[in-house]
Amino acid sequence: MDIRGVQIDDTFAEAFGMRGARIIITAKNQRWAREAANKMTGFATSVIACKCEAAIERELAPDQTPDGRPGICVLLFTMDSDSLPKRVIERIGQTVLTCPTAACFDGLPDAAERIAIGKPLRTFGDGFQGSKVIDGVRYWRLPVMQGEFLIQETFGKARGVGGGNFLILAESADAALDAAEAAVDAMAGMPGVILPFPGGIVSSGSKIGSKRYKTMIASTNDAFAPTLRAISNTSLPAGVNSVLEIVLDGLDFRSIAMAMQKGIDAACRPGVHSITAGNYGGKLGPFHFYLRKIMGGNVDDAPSEGAPV
Amino acid sequence: MSDRVTLTLRAPLTRAIGADCITADRFSGLSEQEIGALTLWDGHVAVPLGDVFSIHGDHSSSVTIEGDLAHLDYVGTAMRGGEIAIMGSVGRGVGGRMSGGAIRVALSAGDDAGIAMAGGLLAIDGNAGDRAGGALQGASKGMTGGEIIVRGSVGRDAAARMRRGTLFCASAGENAGTAMIAGNIIVTGALGDGAGLGNKRGSIHALGGVRVPSTYAYACTYRPPHVRLMLLSLRARYGLAIDDAHVHGLYARYSGDLADIGKGEILEWQAT
Repeated sequence: MDIRGVQIDDTFAEAFGMRGARIIITAKNQRWAREAANKMTGFATSVIACKCEAAIERELAPDQTPDGRPGICVLLFTMDSDSLPKRVIERIGQTVLTCPTAACFDGLPDAAERIAIGKPLRTFGDGFQGSKVIDGVRYWRLPVMQGEFLIQETFGKARGVGGGNFLILAESADAALDAAEAAVDAMAGMPGVILPFPGGIVSSGSKIGSKRYKTMIASTNDAFAPTLRAISNTSLPAGVNSVLEIVLDGLDFRSIAMAMQKGIDAACRPGVHSITAGNYGGKLGPFHFYLRKIMGGNVDDAPSEGAPV
Repeated sequence: MSDRVTLTLRAPLTRAIGADCITADRFSGLSEQEIGALTLWDGHVAVPLGDVFSIHGDHSSSVTIEGDLAHLDYVGTAMRGGEIAIMGSVGRGVGGRMSGGAIRVALSAGDDAGIAMAGGLLAIDGNAGDRAGGALQGASKGMTGGEIIVRGSVGRDAAARMRRGTLFCASAGENAGTAMIAGNIIVTGALGDGAGLGNKRGSIHALGGVRVPSTYAYACTYRPPHVRLMLLSLRARYGLAIDDAHVHGLYARYSGDLADIGKGEILEWQAT
């Protein structure tokens, strides 16, 4: 299969189960909502070292938010159920509670599983906090120096999918970056999906473990590193001088598959040799995103077995 | 089984009739004959419901009551679910101690509407009398949950000893929120004197001004984030005419009642 002269490899991206929360941050204006969201999603590229993966999902207009103010949707994922509330609490506590005019709401109101977020954070109010139940939902009011901080008591917890990916193999670093930027732009704002790496792009994709250092849980993906072509077991075709990776986390298989479809299509542009994906032979995760199926229009090929952890 | 049970008054009522047997959840399990055999009270005299109302429908938790019902008291007492539509005015005690479901009154309600209410919705398109959402005599708590939406005015002592829930109205008489424990009162227009006396943790939102009791102290003027949320929610769910100026506006916060624990508040909207 090729799209506008770019080969789509006959392979799949292998992804695994995660737990996720959607956090809606509102503020006086979009600037301050984004400030809080940027801080909240900082240092959250990979669970390998950041303990969670998080990014901005999309902007919300005032008529899309609970309090009628401009907002930002953030998705945050962890590998297990127990650590999700810990990561959400510490990040909201340090980055949203501290942001001028910000308030914080659950973006998964229909989720049956709930995690207490506002409830533990309320203690910052040192006994001066109060709560309000509005339309059956409890919110905490924390008195702060600016006025009051409002946060929902519980947030929904969803089973998500982490590690969707595709690799852009290009003739030059500039061509790879142009294609990756086009892919990110095409996927921006798609519901249920985030791209947790800087600008949505990974320049240093990793393999599991290390050949030389036993303590490393991940190390450079030498098979796709152009400078190692001559001395490693390379996977790079001739003419490829730079590779960039797009990593996607999402609330479900279909959201990621749809985003991959859009992103890959946008990445198929001059200077790109081929699109491939990272997998571990199907041993790591139950979610397999077959590139040719997705680009053929099949975005519903969810795994038949292997529920996310 | 019917979609709806309709009760139509056979003849105008000339004096108060107790109708605490009319609850939507109870009707869902009853045939037309069984509904007709329920007991209304004319003073101390028991009267079969079927003698006062003609009945159409059975086994439904949706109930419509038609006629001049201003003398029909205690409709929906302790109701736990379903819905009652009252196509006119209704007497005292409508929705008292109800814990679920919805009661909608097309015109006005008498005294004690939603008294000691614990949940559900009581929506009154006209006015309500005294003690709306208030407490039963001698009870330590008044309303403990649910919402009372009155598009017109409420009388004296509204939401007295309220523990949880929300009372919304266009205007309120004297002593609204007396000895409130918690919960919300929202008044878009005139609010009588003595609001919030003895308030512990309750919130009184005075969108049309208020004479703040001397046992409250001014704290600051700000935009309370929960007010935005609450007013938008009420406007969206009930189609209430709430101005954007109230939603996004500034409010003066008064803490009180300082003669009690003082964790309550009166939030007075500030015209700018």
